[in-house]
Amino acid sequence: MRTTIATILWATVLALAPACKSDEKQPTTTTTPESSSSKPAPAPAPEPAKPAAATLTDAQIAAIVVAANQVDVDAGKLAVEKSGNAEVKKFAQQMVTDHTAVNQAAVELVTRLEVTPEESDASRGLAASGTETRTKLAALDGDAFDRAYVDNEVAYHQAVIGVLDSQLIPSATNEELKKTLVGVRPAFVAHLEHAQHLQSSLAGGHGHGK
Amino acid sequence: MRLGLVLAVSLGAAACSSSAREPQVHRVAIQGMQFVPADLTASAGDTIVWVNEDIVPHTATAAGTFDSGVIASKAEWRLVVKDSGVVGYVCTMHPTMKATLTVR
Repeated sequence: MRTTIATILWATVLALAPACKSDEKQPTTTTTPESSSSKPAPAPAPEPAKPAAATLTDAQIAAIVVAANQVDVDAGKLAVEKSGNAEVKKFAQQMVTDHTAVNQAAVELVTRLEVTPEESDASRGLAASGTETRTKLAALDGDAFDRAYVDNEVAYHQAVIGVLDSQLIPSATNEELKKTLVGVRPAFVAHLEHAQHLQSSLAGGHGHGK
Repeated sequence: MRLGLVLAVSLGAAACSSSAREPQVHRVAIQGMQFVPADLTASAGDTIVWVNEDIVPHTATAAGTFDSGVIASKAEWRLVVKDSGVVGYVCTMHPTMKATLTVR
């Protein structure tokens, strides 16, 4: 379950990325019986240096950013309510605070730029998978809830950073929007690191090293 | 006139001979989830100003020594440092954010 939302985000990224044309480097499978990792699984994002076959407009980027932040605000509110773990609650409250602040800034910016956020499959998909995850989390309690929530936060922040890097930042046309996206990235990285520390401490002494 | 000149010179001499140093203001920017500079050295009597240039709120907290409370985005917090020593401080909201303040 913890990978559901991350999988959806990666799927979104891959769907939005310029379709692999035949002139694109396709590794010919002259298969040596060696490991062929031909999994279609979520691959790392396309090279960030790819020139803008930009498939996202600033309006679409804005809606994706708002949706992405709102998902984490909603998950955070649920965790504040449900978690009995002080550190998890504190982290969750910070997610609510920070992602609300980022959304506020994003909305102020696009309002000033007179860009109206435009929903897309990506923004709708994000919102939908956020709802799905919350439904699953809501059915859990105690330690099981805490672990599932934190696991999801790790996966989710990893995915969002990936989408920022591979799609949102490179596609942004307006310089101020791009600068804002670049400027908030460290917050998501800090969230990810915080969530990973929590993940370790919740795993406790079960032989899980890190 | 000459008396005035003598007075001025005396006062000037007195000021020069004083070991008091003009207190300074040091600026720490909170940006990109970091304190910049991460290691600051100041003198007792100086003022440190933390300016939150991030979109999210932060704190500058050294438990038992100083605590800014919430510094909202675009807001700042000032502290006049008095006691010499080295103190580590953090943002209590974002545990990966750490810095040190050395007061001479």
